[in-house]
Amino acid sequence: MEEKHITGEHLTAFASGLLEKGYILISEAPDGTGFTAVKDGASVNMNTAARPTKASFKQQVFPKTEPVFHFHKTVDDVLLFDPLPHTQKTVVFGARPCDAKSISIMRKVFNWDYKDEFFNARADNTVVIGTLCKYSDETCFCTSVGLSPSSTDGSDLFLVPLDDGGYAVKVVTEKGQQFVSENPALFGEAKAGADAVAATHPGPAQKFDAAQVRTWISQNFDHPHWAELGQTCLGCAQCAFSCPVCHCFDIVDEPDSFLEGRRMKNWDACQGGMFTKHASGHNPRDDQGKRYRQRVSHKFSYYPERFGEILCTGCGRCTRGCVVGVDIGEIAAGIAGLA
Amino acid sequence: MPSLQHVVKDLLASGAVEVVIGYEKAPGQNRTRPFFARTPEDADRLVFDFSALNNLAVYLTRQKRPAKGKIGIVAKGCDARAITMLMQEQQLTRDDVHVIGMECSGVTAEMGADLSKDTLAAKCVTCKVQTPPLADTLVEGPKDYERPDDRNGARMRELEAMTPEQRFAFWAGEFDRCVRCYACRQACPMCYCEQCVAEKNQPQWIETSATLRGNIAWNVIRAFHLGGRCVGCNECERACPADIPLGLLNRKLGMVAGQEFGYAAGMDASAPTLVGTWDKSDRQEYIK
Repeated sequence: MEEKHITGEHLTAFASGLLEKGYILISEAPDGTGFTAVKDGASVNMNTAARPTKASFKQQVFPKTEPVFHFHKTVDDVLLFDPLPHTQKTVVFGARPCDAKSISIMRKVFNWDYKDEFFNARADNTVVIGTLCKYSDETCFCTSVGLSPSSTDGSDLFLVPLDDGGYAVKVVTEKGQQFVSENPALFGEAKAGADAVAATHPGPAQKFDAAQVRTWISQNFDHPHWAELGQTCLGCAQCAFSCPVCHCFDIVDEPDSFLEGRRMKNWDACQGGMFTKHASGHNPRDDQGKRYRQRVSHKFSYYPERFGEILCTGCGRCTRGCVVGVDIGEIAAGIAGLA
Repeated sequence: MPSLQHVVKDLLASGAVEVVIGYEKAPGQNRTRPFFARTPEDADRLVFDFSALNNLAVYLTRQKRPAKGKIGIVAKGCDARAITMLMQEQQLTRDDVHVIGMECSGVTAEMGADLSKDTLAAKCVTCKVQTPPLADTLVEGPKDYERPDDRNGARMRELEAMTPEQRFAFWAGEFDRCVRCYACRQACPMCYCEQCVAEKNQPQWIETSATLRGNIAWNVIRAFHLGGRCVGCNECERACPADIPLGLLNRKLGMVAGQEFGYAAGMDASAPTLVGTWDKSDRQEYIK
């Protein structure tokens, strides 16, 4: 992987240059709610020692609500209108590895049989500039799902802050290479030191072996352990809504008037009772234990089996936000213990 | 003076209750979480301190009850108000529960912090129920604490001073972030409808998409449904992944209930509900 160096000043100039070219730059909002657009290059948030924001940047590629088409009824027909294609180029600046990885994980399911043109247009127009993460708390477990605070997976460029105030720049993809090529005056020759910085941020201790978790789940669908997990869960689904890779959606028609309306693609979550409720009234996942089994199985067994990726980046958001203290890292470790 | 663990052990050993809803320490973490004690041995896992943030009364609503028989529940003052309110609304009879009332000197705003004037939860700043108003067994404990300035009170006065247009713009800005997960509803002990208005689609009262229009409709309708019913536990705000300050809205409605009708939710199990009763001496100057 090619490596370059950029000074702190040049990084600001680089960000400003992108804004001038019409890119939208998003980075972690200082108030901790989520990712927001920055107005100038100097406002890019590169502080990864702080706690990650409550929301990931998932909305950038998979908005919480989005029209699939608009409809207009006439006397003897229904006319359909496509929404405008998404063409806005956006750079996610300073994404931690547990967020940077999200697009490449979701890309698999959105291109499995049907190509989701909405997701793809947004993902293709998004460039991810990842950076080394200096934060870790008891809810983090990136090192148990194949990532680390210095993992470049999912980033187009990856920045490692060096002692000189500048950054080592790892050029991960062609999109990243293009940014470097377009700014020869800003990116200099590589300097040593990135490995030493990465070594001082090893991340959380590994909590479980994901392969063990996957094996146990695939053989224990009816195990009584599942019923214990769901006991205190309130089914509030904040876990799925704050997850960088949960991607379930619902399709619903929203009328604007008697004749016009939109078909919307809206976030949905498996922890709600309505999620699998049939029109007949029957619900195959009729209690929280079954719903929680689905959540854990999808992340650590079904998705890896089908797509070769764990549907979890170990960011800890679901656990941090859970009002009843359900801890997915602890649960996965418990399952690994049963294997 | 009996300890919490002692009380619970007796209740479970004698068969007086089937389960006790309480708090345990989350392993490896500086926080507590809800725990259902089903055997006398389980009682040793129970803890109670300033990190007991949850309002456990949410587990007494019909769809979330952990047992069919009698339930014991560990309750701070604010939790006991929610239990009382559930009784006022006929969701619970006095015999359904054994309330283990905990005297309380406040909880932290965020899980994992140590308790101090600066970390105290906003709801505790104005709390008047350090001793629960409803209890079958009372576990005494510290109940005095230093209260900081009422930050949310100041914010409320700022909002009250706004023009309706400014206030609408403020709330539109907040509701814009709503992702429609309904975590607020699920964490709320007063949101126990078997079918929520948000899930009715014939007719569809509320747009389900997380657009500003749908978000305003949802949040305003939920606030209205809590008027005179909310006990101010603030679990909705804590559950919100979008950090919407729902507590401000609920507190305002609670203040109106107090100022206009002299009513406080969940203080007396035999009191009628505010919105569910009618009396010909009710004020009616708003009918024009």
